Amino acid sequence: MKVTFPHMGNVYLAAKALLDGLGIDYVIPPKNNKEALDIGTLHSPEEMCLPFKLMIGNYVQAIQKGADTIIIVGSCGPCRFGEYCELQMNLMKNLGYDLNFIVIDYPKDIGIKELYRRISQVSSKSNRKTYEKLKALSNSLKVIRLIDEIEEAAHMFAGYERNKGDCKHILNECKEEASKCRTSKEMINLLIEYKEKIKHVPIDINKNPLKIAVIGEIYTVIESYTNFSIEDKLMGYGVSSHRGLTPSWWVKNALLSPLKINSLAIRRNAKKYLPLQIGGHAIECVGEAVTASKEGYDGAIQIFPMGCMPEIVSKSILPTISKDLDFPVMSLVVDDMTGEAGYITRIEAFIDLLERRRESVLFRC
Amino acid sequence: MYYLGVDVGSVSTDIVLLDEHMTVNEKIYLRTKGNPIKAVQDGFKILKNKYNQSEISAAGTTGSGRMIASAIIGGDAVKNEITAHATAALEFDEDVRTIIEIGGQDSKIIILNNGIVSDFAMNTVCAAGTGSFLDRQAERLDIPIEEFGDYALKAKSTVRIAGRCAVFAESDMIHKQQLGYNQPEIIRGLCDALVRNYLNNIGKGKTILSKVLFQGGVAANKGMKSAFENALGFEIYVPEHYNMMGAIGAAIIAKKTVKKVGRTNFRGFELAGSNIISKSFECEGCTNKCEVVKIYENNTVIGYFGDRCGKWSNKIVQSSNDLLA
Repeated sequence: MKVTFPHMGNVYLAAKALLDGLGIDYVIPPKNNKEALDIGTLHSPEEMCLPFKLMIGNYVQAIQKGADTIIIVGSCGPCRFGEYCELQMNLMKNLGYDLNFIVIDYPKDIGIKELYRRISQVSSKSNRKTYEKLKALSNSLKVIRLIDEIEEAAHMFAGYERNKGDCKHILNECKEEASKCRTSKEMINLLIEYKEKIKHVPIDINKNPLKIAVIGEIYTVIESYTNFSIEDKLMGYGVSSHRGLTPSWWVKNALLSPLKINSLAIRRNAKKYLPLQIGGHAIECVGEAVTASKEGYDGAIQIFPMGCMPEIVSKSILPTISKDLDFPVMSLVVDDMTGEAGYITRIEAFIDLLERRRESVLFRC
Repeated sequence: MYYLGVDVGSVSTDIVLLDEHMTVNEKIYLRTKGNPIKAVQDGFKILKNKYNQSEISAAGTTGSGRMIASAIIGGDAVKNEITAHATAALEFDEDVRTIIEIGGQDSKIIILNNGIVSDFAMNTVCAAGTGSFLDRQAERLDIPIEEFGDYALKAKSTVRIAGRCAVFAESDMIHKQQLGYNQPEIIRGLCDALVRNYLNNIGKGKTILSKVLFQGGVAANKGMKSAFENALGFEIYVPEHYNMMGAIGAAIIAKKTVKKVGRTNFRGFELAGSNIISKSFECEGCTNKCEVVKIYENNTVIGYFGDRCGKWSNKIVQSSNDLLA
């Protein structure tokens, strides 16, 4: 058995740590790239959302490297993501691949027994002792938490750094080095080291950079390939950015959701505009826009793939929030046809808008 | 002292020279024809004979080809079209509240409040209703594009054309023409359809307040202006240099930048004669496989674009810093 999994930002580092710890053979598909997208677009339904296409590309590229088992998370959710696993199973079968899909889903949807059975399909292949397996799991959670913390710090400090490009450089180097680690222990030590490094980047606390919240659909905000590395671009412009949706947020949210104590602040802030769960991460998007405005951010950028139902709903709510709270929000739609030039123009113009707004507000004081 | 502004758009490349009082001294309108480098060089050939390099105290670029243009001319400011258009409009009229800008490939709406941009939108995945579509229709009907608008004004009534998609709009126009409607009516119908599409698409959720400025190449079309006025119910204004506003904005922004920095990077008009070529290659450094463009001027590399990590584009920045040091 040689397992693989689709990409989503830095999740591959955690998956690598887990599978290394379990001693299971695996293939990491090449990072999302043009070729993966081309393969995905060729085989997927035309109007399907962008993440689906990239995932198909990931599978095919991993199979070329010898993978035969695919692990994905499902969600019997009310957005298209809930159907991804079934559609992808059929699609890959029709393409003539003989694969084993292991879909990890919430126990409330498939039952705890079924979840256990599915997990044991993987874990039974590991010859490690039970406590070693649990250790591998906790290590992998540690990895994702650390890399998310490093990323968040880098994005925030980018606006304050004294030497332009420091944060971006450290972050890229960190990811590069982490993917080379052989054991999860090594990776954790490396990440701790980089966390210290990023904390000690020379910053100028008197700077007052623009602060932008990145909100929207979870895959497209996390996976930098789909959003044309928007966070890197913002770092390049010397803008501090924050993104609430991270893989570690997702884990925490999933663990707390059975008790209904997940993302309380987000739901509270979203309540006035969107009181119902409509699927995907629409509540999070709306809630984060309100939170960002309250926390003194200058603006928010919403990103979502074309045809994403929950985000289309939040897109139509955002102008109201924008008006009520006097908080600029820009929506960007991405798909496999998006041209980067127009995209950059919008981001630059949005930053200009925020800068000019600030100048005139200061001017009036 | 003059300030140079270059707007390299999808369809046209506009070059302006502003004097100290921000009045347009020279304007050149060229078709880009898929070759932005050549268009800029052609423009410089005209300027070369009239002006001296020392007379230019700032140069700015804008438009979708702003990066490449800036690299070859040595721009002081590289600004996006939205900010450039807003800057130019405000220079001419401080009271403007809304800017409607329709160019070759894209259309924009810019909302201003107290002289600052408060909101904007650009067409996303569809180019229906932009200049190139009108261009194509004019060509199909064998009417010079300059007279296209006058035809619309001749119409006594209008024909409803489906304007959501350029391809379907064309089939609908052909259908109406085969039914026997006359050309002016169809053209007016087309203008109405494009305005409807603009207001429902780009203008969605935006409050359009007077005073409205209509700029971009399509503003030359009187039919479009009158269709906008009918739809909005008030007069809209087309500035004198409507098709040069981007370039004017770039020149104004460049002037401000030079004031701050204290010197200009402008490389002179001589490049009109140099041999500028661009080559592209796929970077093999990582799985991103960026398509990198390399620009040579007389066999020396003057710029790199298209890489995400900055491995190539930073090279030039570094070497120019070395030169200054």
